[in-house]
Amino acid sequence: MRSSLRFTGVGGQGVLLAGEIMAACKIKDGGYGLKTATYTSQVRGGATVVDITLDDNEIRYPYANEGEIDFMLSVANVSYQQFKNGVRLGGIIVVDPNLVTPTEEDRKKWVIHEIPIITIAKEEVGNVITQSVVALAITNTMTNVLDKQSLIDTMLSKVPEKVHAANKKAYELGEKYAREAMAK
Amino acid sequence: MAREVIGNGNELAAEAAIDAGARFFSGYPITPSSEVMHVASDLLPEVGGKFIQMEDEIAGICAALGASMSGVKSFTATSGPGISLKAEQIGLGFIAEIPLVIVNVMRGGPSTGLPTRVSQADIGQAQYPTHGDYASITLCAGSLTECYTQTVRAFNLAEKYMTPVFILLDETIGHMHGKAVLPDLEEVKASIVNRATFDGAPADYKPYDVPMNKPAVLNPMFKGYKYHITGLHHGHEGFPTEDAVQCEFNIERLVGKINTVAAENDGLDDLPDYEEYMLDDAEVCIIAYGSIGLGAYEAVNKLREQGVKAGMFRPILLWPSPAKRIAEIGAKFKDKIFITELNMGQYSKEIERVIKRNDFTTLLKANGRPIAPAEMVAKVKEMM
Repeated sequence: MRSSLRFTGVGGQGVLLAGEIMAACKIKDGGYGLKTATYTSQVRGGATVVDITLDDNEIRYPYANEGEIDFMLSVANVSYQQFKNGVRLGGIIVVDPNLVTPTEEDRKKWVIHEIPIITIAKEEVGNVITQSVVALAITNTMTNVLDKQSLIDTMLSKVPEKVHAANKKAYELGEKYAREAMAK
Repeated sequence: MAREVIGNGNELAAEAAIDAGARFFSGYPITPSSEVMHVASDLLPEVGGKFIQMEDEIAGICAALGASMSGVKSFTATSGPGISLKAEQIGLGFIAEIPLVIVNVMRGGPSTGLPTRVSQADIGQAQYPTHGDYASITLCAGSLTECYTQTVRAFNLAEKYMTPVFILLDETIGHMHGKAVLPDLEEVKASIVNRATFDGAPADYKPYDVPMNKPAVLNPMFKGYKYHITGLHHGHEGFPTEDAVQCEFNIERLVGKINTVAAENDGLDDLPDYEEYMLDDAEVCIIAYGSIGLGAYEAVNKLREQGVKAGMFRPILLWPSPAKRIAEIGAKFKDKIFITELNMGQYSKEIERVIKRNDFTTLLKANGRPIAPAEMVAKVKEMM
């Protein structure tokens, strides 16, 4: 089965790395994963979108098919507005409510969860850079597309050892907040 | 044993260059090709090679040509605007017969255009990159695996034909990140082609005294074999000449050693010049190359699910084009040919030249966005 995920933010937030980790994890577990990013020529602040496609069978076209995305996570309003319509009706969208404002109409089309991703990384983990790992944990907890331990191992293999503890904590917090949001 | 790796196209192209024997890179960073440089700077020192970031694009190709003249396999990487700046030196490489691999990761143009966005609008530039007559060898990678395998091939063709060779990636393929299955490293090494050398007496050495349609035999500089390198038309030892007979022979040989040889031998080597998918029983042929071939492949599958017998033809050797096969496709599919590319129809013109008709359908895009399989499916269904 094909899973189509999308991360959106602005340049410099680390969403590219989160996508690479998910694709790499699927590949290590014997499947196929592709990550592709679209960004602007602005150094920081331009809308960035990362598409992640995971499948047990070969994938060639690396971008998400518009209207077929199962899950989207957004930490910037400019990119949320620009890319939300790629999500299929009834699909899941996670937004940071401090940065993204979905409309009432959006809430009728999609299952929208609000989780303060940046605040969690900044204040509870103590390192804003871990926001991409908080996002990673939320994504996998809500979609269940990857084996949790395999994903954590892949993530740790891509970050320096001195920040392993912080990133593990970020993953646990992301998972906790995702479970709470789903229970609401 | 085949190797399974995870990476992006730019990284794989750089790794392939080193595996193919490249030991020198010089260039200047430009989006979306910079990762080729990054990886080259990591890997070359590890194998005793040299990496240098030059002051600009022009210097980037000049140093690489110089290194190649000393016998070292060399490459440079850039994107469209960089090729424009390198244009004059590509001509020098062509007329002086200096092997060089040029990676062009295509982005939106013209001029600085759309720096971070995908395009295939440099394929015309790759065909005629410089002033004067030119015969191009241009390979176009259509998957992560091909970013590796076609870069290896580019080095082998450069050495075999003694000429600059383009390997075209595009922003999508260069930056997409996923799994690639690479050939066994020993197989790659066994496939390596090295330029011919002359080992007779130095007094008898005439590097450019070769028959029609054969490449020059350039010994590495500083090994005791004396000759002259110039962008001017030259005689047997490389010194300038304006002799009409010699100049005519030179240009016929330079163009013929690539275009005539490819036409006579149906290609420049024994490797596939194109990929075909589901073409045998197809009623409509989608022609696409590079990253657009990725979407075309999925479009073929979607069309077949909907009862339309579609197939795909994807050229890998863009120049000289696989004209014999294109002509056969033109004859077989008549007006049921669908060409899709990220420019205003540059390869469509080549198809038209070969099949001598323009009754095909096109889906062209040049706004920096990819072409989705769904767009291709819709257009093909209109044709049926």
